[in-house]
Amino acid sequence: MIESIQKMFAIVANEGHGSVWTVLLIGFLFGAIILYSRLDKFEKMAGFMIFEDTLVPRMAMTTVALSSLGFYFLTQAGYATFHVKPVILGGLIIGGILFGIGLVILGKCPSAFFVSVSEGRVDALVGVIGGMFGGLVFTLAYPWINEFTGPNLGKLRVVDFFEGHSLLIVIIFSTVLLVTAYLLPTIEYKDPADFKEK
Amino acid sequence: MPKQIPWWVGGIFMSLLFYFSFSSFGANRPIGASTGMAYLSTILFGLDSQNHIYVEEIEKSGAWEGVMLIGVFFGGLFMSIFVTKTFHISYIPTLWKERKNKSIKSRMIWSFIAGFLLVFGARLACGCNAGHILSGGSQLAISGIIFVIVALGTGVITGRFFYKKKVCKK
Repeated sequence: MIESIQKMFAIVANEGHGSVWTVLLIGFLFGAIILYSRLDKFEKMAGFMIFEDTLVPRMAMTTVALSSLGFYFLTQAGYATFHVKPVILGGLIIGGILFGIGLVILGKCPSAFFVSVSEGRVDALVGVIGGMFGGLVFTLAYPWINEFTGPNLGKLRVVDFFEGHSLLIVIIFSTVLLVTAYLLPTIEYKDPADFKEK
Repeated sequence: MPKQIPWWVGGIFMSLLFYFSFSSFGANRPIGASTGMAYLSTILFGLDSQNHIYVEEIEKSGAWEGVMLIGVFFGGLFMSIFVTKTFHISYIPTLWKERKNKSIKSRMIWSFIAGFLLVFGARLACGCNAGHILSGGSQLAISGIIFVIVALGTGVITGRFFYKKKVCKK
């Protein structure tokens, strides 16, 4: 196992997507922001889907709105390239359904797992272990699963349908998200466990 | 230091981090997490790329995300110990106690099942919240938009049946 961990670092070091330290730093900041905004809490993620809290959609919309503008200008200036995932319709829909069920029950997404574990949440650790088995079964069953996840519709983007109006589409998209995020009511589930006197 | 940052501050910081990761100054690729989860599980169970085609397929991006997830863990640990000071061993979330039950066993069993579904589903769909919703949405990817609708729609419907009705607070 130690060998494969060393191999993991070696792959990252040779791959040209930032040095190992850059990747660790990106992860560190990602985890720090998730924890500081309390995105890792069950009450925020599951709470949003049972209408007890609106932090998650508002923060996600702000992030996507600002990032879509930033990504547009970064790629225009030649400092980045788009990495779009393909639309593999069957896999996307079945996967989305399973993911949605898991999300509302566990109340964390696959990166917030780790943040929750680092905060001492045993249920999140059990979720990670479950996830490890999920990864195992998927890897073993992949040759079989791969048969029926299609059709692959390609790496589509919204702007592909509006040739020549990319900037306008990005601005409209971003504005709609920002305005929606702003207009959503503030519902906050205050977790008594967070406000205990120390 | 405040114990929590508001949603818009979180959103701004998150998008700054995304710019860095996405541009050639940083990693020249968007952030994602679930490939890393699958990759870590292949390390844990000792599956190699010679015998398993999927391991070979995800090797590069899985390794990147695996290393990132190690960073994620320490980022969370650092904040929970030094800044928010919320580090404590806990078993059941408060809202689960309120809307589901107070049994540790039940929470653990459901956590395991849900964790399994999350990673399995995310791999089937080729991405999770980070890869499809945040990074995919930011690139206006159709796959990301379909995923948001399906995953959140299912989540809301499941939540409606899985949890007890809201208790009116007086």
